[in-house]
Amino acid sequence: MRFDLTLALADRPGQLLKALEPIAKNGGNIISIIHEREKPAEGFVPVSLVVDFPSKWNLRKTIEDLKSLGVAIVKSEEIVELKRLTLIVIGRMGIKRLIESKLENVRITSFEVSAPTTKEACVKLDLEVPTESVDAVMDELKKVSKEENAILISPV
Amino acid sequence: MKALIIGFGFIGRDLVKAFYEKKDAIRKIDRDFKVIGVSHSKGYLHNDEGLDLQRLQHIKNLEDYGSSYHAGESSLGLIEKSEADLMVEATPTRIKDGEPGLTFIRKALNSGISVVTSNKGPLVVAFHELTRLAEKNGCELLYEGTVAGAIPIFSLVRECLQGDRVLRISGILNGTTNYILSRMYFDEMSFELALKEAQERGISERDSSYDVDGIDAACKVVILANALMNRNVKFEDVEITGIRGITQEALSLAKKSNFAIKLIGTIDSTLEVAPKLVPINHPLCVHGTLNAVHLETDLAKEITLVGYGAGRETVSAVLNDVLTVLRKKKKAA
Repeated sequence: MRFDLTLALADRPGQLLKALEPIAKNGGNIISIIHEREKPAEGFVPVSLVVDFPSKWNLRKTIEDLKSLGVAIVKSEEIVELKRLTLIVIGRMGIKRLIESKLENVRITSFEVSAPTTKEACVKLDLEVPTESVDAVMDELKKVSKEENAILISPV
Repeated sequence: MKALIIGFGFIGRDLVKAFYEKKDAIRKIDRDFKVIGVSHSKGYLHNDEGLDLQRLQHIKNLEDYGSSYHAGESSLGLIEKSEADLMVEATPTRIKDGEPGLTFIRKALNSGISVVTSNKGPLVVAFHELTRLAEKNGCELLYEGTVAGAIPIFSLVRECLQGDRVLRISGILNGTTNYILSRMYFDEMSFELALKEAQERGISERDSSYDVDGIDAACKVVILANALMNRNVKFEDVEITGIRGITQEALSLAKKSNFAIKLIGTIDSTLEVAPKLVPINHPLCVHGTLNAVHLETDLAKEITLVGYGAGRETVSAVLNDVLTVLRKKKKAA
């Protein structure tokens, strides 16, 4: 799992090394590090890190260790890789039914409804889905469209 | 080498024509190549000295050949009594039980006769049984014409990707549905009108369900999965959605976002035939009656082949299979 971690280090020699030790000890693999030495604010220097941890537990443990060393944590968030999917649904399946289905972490970024000249309505949806959930989301959408007797046209 | 042609529909007839037109190229591989028998459902022609291909290519019905015609006799009888080395099986496809082609292929392989077929039915029903039978009897079983017509997908993998593992296959495997969807996409025709036009132009059968309900594409998915990905799957394992429900509105919405809608057969963790959104710059986005097959392998990564998938072009695949058998037998001798 990849995390975005921003620390505020005291502007003194040796502080960066001190902050990196708990990360390594807790299984973190540093992907990038930006140490903004030229921008100290009130005696603190911001350090932005992207770190791969085996699990959220490893991140939590790292944060505890950093805090016990007196390092301030400005930000710690998971970086979720998103995939954009475009779908077309033909049939009477409402957007509400789609939203109510079990689609965790899925964001509908846009939708367009055609002016139907036939009896079937037609909706185009643009979604943002965490990469790791794409298969699960597609399976769920397939299930819902089947239940609603709609045709789901997914990307190739 | 002595050859039989079982089935004298358009593939059988076009093959006779190709044998005649390419006779010099064939003789370079096998000086003694001759067609000794041709059958259809009402009887067969048999002459152990070889039939006259020039005469045969101009007739529509075998009865018109004159001498050597055995009315009312079965193809099975011809396979049994001839001492052929090779049989080209080109009878109509029946998905339910693979017959009558399945019985003919079993008979030929059990008699040590190599088989080239363009008939999907027997391979959909009994792929592994037939390949084992060919191996056991030391003969060849080639079927390039069964999937995507003239596109040499099986030959490509067999000859050129010997060290690769095929991970995923997707493709436009039915020319009729591609024609209909292309007409709907470019000319804003309704499904019904595009289908009617396809029928009038002879692109689709009168009974269109085989094409538009995805049955034909699903048969090809089964053969590809068994032949190229070492699966053991049946027709019932394919999840099928045809193109009857595709509306003009859906195509317009797709077009506005730079997609086309194509009937795609997919083989990965599941087997599926369904309409899909294909980006217009994707290699599978081909139009008209074209077919396209997209292979994903561990070493070569991605390869796409595009070509005509049905009709007369299929003869190219059948002829190449025949020449492959001739070369192999020559090498073995």
